[in-house]
Amino acid sequence: MVLPIAGFIIYGLYRTDVQATFDGRLEKLVNAVAVDAMAGEGGLPSVPPNRYEPLFEEIHSGWYWQIQPLNEQDTGRRLVSQSLATGQLPSPKVDGVKISETGSRWLNFDGPLGVRIRIVEVIDRVGHKKDGIPYSIAVAGPVDWLESQLATFRTRLATALTLAGLGLVVVTLFQVRFGLLPLRKIEQGLSDIRTGAATNLEGDFPVEIEPLQHELNALIRSNQDIVDRARTQVGNLAHALKTPLAVVTNEARDAKGTLAKKVTEQATIMRDQVSHYLDRARMAARSGVIGGASNVADVVAPLVRALERIHQDRGIKIQVTCPDDVLFQGEKQDLEEMLGNLLDNACKWAESTVYLTVDRSGEASGQSRTPGRLHIQVEDDGPGLNKEQRKRIGKRGMRLDESKPGSGLGLSIVTDLVQTYRGSFLLDQSEHGGLLVRLVLPAI
Amino acid sequence: MRILVIEDDKDLNRQLVTALGDGGYAVDHAFDGEEGYFLGETEPYDVVILDLGLPKMDGISILEQWRRAERTMPVIILTARDRWSEKVAGMDAGADDYIAKPFHMEELLARVRAQVRRAAGHAKSEIECGNVRLDTKSARVTSDGQQVKLTSHEYRLLAYLMHHQGRVVSRTELVEHLYEQDFDRDSNTIEVFIGRLRKKLPPELIETVRGLGYRMHDGSDAA
Repeated sequence: MVLPIAGFIIYGLYRTDVQATFDGRLEKLVNAVAVDAMAGEGGLPSVPPNRYEPLFEEIHSGWYWQIQPLNEQDTGRRLVSQSLATGQLPSPKVDGVKISETGSRWLNFDGPLGVRIRIVEVIDRVGHKKDGIPYSIAVAGPVDWLESQLATFRTRLATALTLAGLGLVVVTLFQVRFGLLPLRKIEQGLSDIRTGAATNLEGDFPVEIEPLQHELNALIRSNQDIVDRARTQVGNLAHALKTPLAVVTNEARDAKGTLAKKVTEQATIMRDQVSHYLDRARMAARSGVIGGASNVADVVAPLVRALERIHQDRGIKIQVTCPDDVLFQGEKQDLEEMLGNLLDNACKWAESTVYLTVDRSGEASGQSRTPGRLHIQVEDDGPGLNKEQRKRIGKRGMRLDESKPGSGLGLSIVTDLVQTYRGSFLLDQSEHGGLLVRLVLPAI
Repeated sequence: MRILVIEDDKDLNRQLVTALGDGGYAVDHAFDGEEGYFLGETEPYDVVILDLGLPKMDGISILEQWRRAERTMPVIILTARDRWSEKVAGMDAGADDYIAKPFHMEELLARVRAQVRRAAGHAKSEIECGNVRLDTKSARVTSDGQQVKLTSHEYRLLAYLMHHQGRVVSRTELVEHLYEQDFDRDSNTIEVFIGRLRKKLPPELIETVRGLGYRMHDGSDAA
């Protein structure tokens, strides 16, 4: 865009310059012809010696001179260059052209053979007499020459500018490609952080980008700090509230009477409310924060270890089918809560075995392939629930706003979390006899 | 059965000690981590109830240090921190069970019974030895289907012997597991209680192994 404009300006300047050079030459020629011809030998102009331009002698070369008297009677002597032959140049003065600053008149004209010429004319008299016949002394040069000069220049200019333009495009592409490389790296790094593949922006960046890298890392860190702090505070609050509640509940249970009954009742409600809202607070502290990715197998193994130990006296075994490389898109703690509660329930009700199946494709749970979804299935071989019971529990879990704290199965926290991750939650009859819980969650 | 309660909340500590004492256990208690750690390190307990948020020394460190010193008694963690990540951390540190506050005392007692049974290798809450049945849930003893009335000390002694039936139990072990730390430990009292139990139950049930201690067996494999 800039280059054509620059080309235009350069061409304009050059054109003016060439024109001025051409005009200057014509002017010099006309003055020389005038001086030589009007020396005043015999009161008539003489043929000037051709020491200016060889083309004056070549016929129809485009370069001409002409001396003719300007009186009505045409009594003077008319002289022309050999190149003009029988042709005639018009007199700009006669045609009414105004005189220029340098005392000459200019006119463009279609000369012999239709060649366009530029004529310059001065008026002079022979010798130094003021009363002699005024002569028009005209010199003409081909405009074509000017045009050809300009055309050559135009071609060269266009070529040069096109090359410059191409060069610029190449340089710009190069700059965009390599100059913006760090930005692409940052983009990749941030995406890694979002998906949990990295915790901060790593790698060597140019000096100009380094402060940005530091700032981004600081931002991510402070974000993480806020989440951690909120969690710690919530944990502290939980600890601070739960112990006195335990004391009150135990004290009231031992006592008799209506007051004790009331206290027990209210303390139970308080306990449920506290844990419900603490769970919600924990979830709220997390929403909007760049989440991570958690390897499901890494979460499952310690949970299974702990749960088998907790239910050791009943000899419950947990059969796990979980690929090593399945990633849950979210907080590790949340996955732990969901799996922990579901597995713990299953262990409580199971006769001997709990089955945990995790997969990403959805084939094991018999559903259609949904890429990017994680399927978790927890089953037990216990008594299970009938359709009515399942319906009741399922409903209470699914409708969050009506969800009352403490479903008795620890499912309300699971359904809350599933909702947070926009997953789905389903209860069914297991082929092993007991309850089957199916979760679908975002995976990477 | 002797139990250690480590809980920094004074009221909750008292409630636990009372409830466990009523349940037929000898109970020691500590209010801070250091004291609790020391007791668990030096005294033989059948179950420890351990709070995690303790002054001076936190519960997880106590547990890890005990386990490193090969103190293998069952430990039940009692804490308000009920995230699964915290439960897993507790279990990995060597705990045997985990109870979240607030809790029902009945549940805690059930878990304690389960740990005692597990440590002695019994699966059910009722333990049998010959015609004698001991229901750890209700703390009732029957002989030939007839209920036997026992004092709390007699019950503790019988329960310990029944949990460890078939094995010789020394007097020192009995004293250590049946009485609180500040109890006047005169091993003669053990003999007195053994004598009383023999009067109330089939006398051949508890055998005296001279110089070693006592052994309880159901008579069938006595030969």
